[in-house]
Amino acid sequence: MLDVRGLSAGYEGGDVVHDVDLRVDEGEAVMVIGSNGAGKTTLFRAIVGLRPASAGQVHFAGDDITGSPAQEVVRLGLSFVPAERHLFPRMTVHENLALGAYPSRPDPDTLTMVFDLFPRLAERRRQLAGTMSGGEQQMLAIGRALMAKPRLLVLDEPTTGLAPKLAAEAYEALNTLRGRGLTVLVAEQQVPLAMALCDRGYVLEGGAITKEGTSAELADDPEVRRAYLGVT
Amino acid sequence: MTASILDGIVLGLQFGLLATGLTLMYGLGGILNLAYGQMAVISAIVTVSIMDAGLPVVPAAAIGIAVGALLGFVLDQTVFRPLYSLRDEARVLLSLLLSLGVALMIDGFLNWLFPLKGLSLFIGGGAIDVFGEPMRRGSLLASGITIVAMGGLVAFFRFTTLGRAVRSVIEDEEGARLVGIDPRKMLRLILVLSGGIAGLVALTRSMVAPVDVTAGFGITVFALIVTVVGGLGSITGALAAGIILGVINAIAASAIGTFMSLVILLVAAAVTILVRPAGLLGVKE
Repeated sequence: MLDVRGLSAGYEGGDVVHDVDLRVDEGEAVMVIGSNGAGKTTLFRAIVGLRPASAGQVHFAGDDITGSPAQEVVRLGLSFVPAERHLFPRMTVHENLALGAYPSRPDPDTLTMVFDLFPRLAERRRQLAGTMSGGEQQMLAIGRALMAKPRLLVLDEPTTGLAPKLAAEAYEALNTLRGRGLTVLVAEQQVPLAMALCDRGYVLEGGAITKEGTSAELADDPEVRRAYLGVT
Repeated sequence: MTASILDGIVLGLQFGLLATGLTLMYGLGGILNLAYGQMAVISAIVTVSIMDAGLPVVPAAAIGIAVGALLGFVLDQTVFRPLYSLRDEARVLLSLLLSLGVALMIDGFLNWLFPLKGLSLFIGGGAIDVFGEPMRRGSLLASGITIVAMGGLVAFFRFTTLGRAVRSVIEDEEGARLVGIDPRKMLRLILVLSGGIAGLVALTRSMVAPVDVTAGFGITVFALIVTVVGGLGSITGALAAGIILGVINAIAASAIGTFMSLVILLVAAAVTILVRPAGLLGVKE
């Protein structure tokens, strides 16, 4: 469903991400793990069209989306939840969700689905997004992305700034979505959470993929255990 | 006193509506449009020219407003183009320079082609009592039209998908892109809308006092002051600041004299910046 080939991207000073190959098949959950500054965010921003790629190609569901701006990519069915969430702080929860369906009117069934998944959003639908806690904002960011009825949900470190209990809750919700057949690509530093969710994963270090494999394979890899699972 | 306050409200409503256009262009696209007043004047001159040619006032006014909106579109497609590849302060500064150039050019052409033209939509009939004060029909009609237009704008931004999409770009441009909103298209829409607003305000102003070819910069300065006081990027802030400053202006003009009223408005704006740097209802960074 998502096919990234030889992707390089970065800033004026030079590339941060080098020659990345990455694939996500329909119905899969795939993780990209790596430490802070490994290039996960740059990689994802280049995939979803928030940042130009300097080399390589991105194909999504048969379309070449290399260089397509984010506002067009989302209409093809790829929704991105950035680590900083980028909600609309002075709009209500409901307005944020409604805009997720732009340019259509929000679909009532999808809205009900989001409220079932995150009951707290239903309780607070009239509250301004900017006044909510970090955990609630993360739920809203995921909810807003779901309103576009994506075929692939891409999340950059959904646990950023969340207490352990809330981080686990966020992954519970992602698990539920997976169970309904949603395809997921997630970048994560809290590797155990991501491993429990995902079938496969890639390790990104210094802007390049250094390992890939199933979650079980990666969990058994001594280097991965040492660097990301805190096992010595 | 009551008379001054009522006059101030009439003027303030128009200030407020005028400033929404300026505040939206800035909040949405980082464009400080110094040619805004000239857009209003062109609408007025087009309207009076069409009336001189024999058309009735309502279609002439409609065409005048449409020309204001068209001018917004033309600016977006031509002079403002270089802006869109710039970001942040560079964009604001270049927009100042480019729009100042446009303003000077429009002023020059208007002075050369129509040195004596001015729009005055005088409404006849006797005065009507409001709170015991006689109000001219023109002032009342101008206020009525302005209030309806404000209500329409507020409803558009609150309740329609397109209006919410415009606000979302002001709130978080990247968030807007992630839900599929193209900020460039929203900015184009706002330039067109603000051109129409400028035109409408020129027409309602001319029901109270004539709008002539030299009025452009004065209108821009008023709109800028209201925008700063209301908070850049805030629609309700602009509307509230317009009414407050309108009343201050009218009281200052009657108590001290018209020559001092603009100075007092500038002082009010300066005080606002000192006390609340983001303006009455501006977005805090």
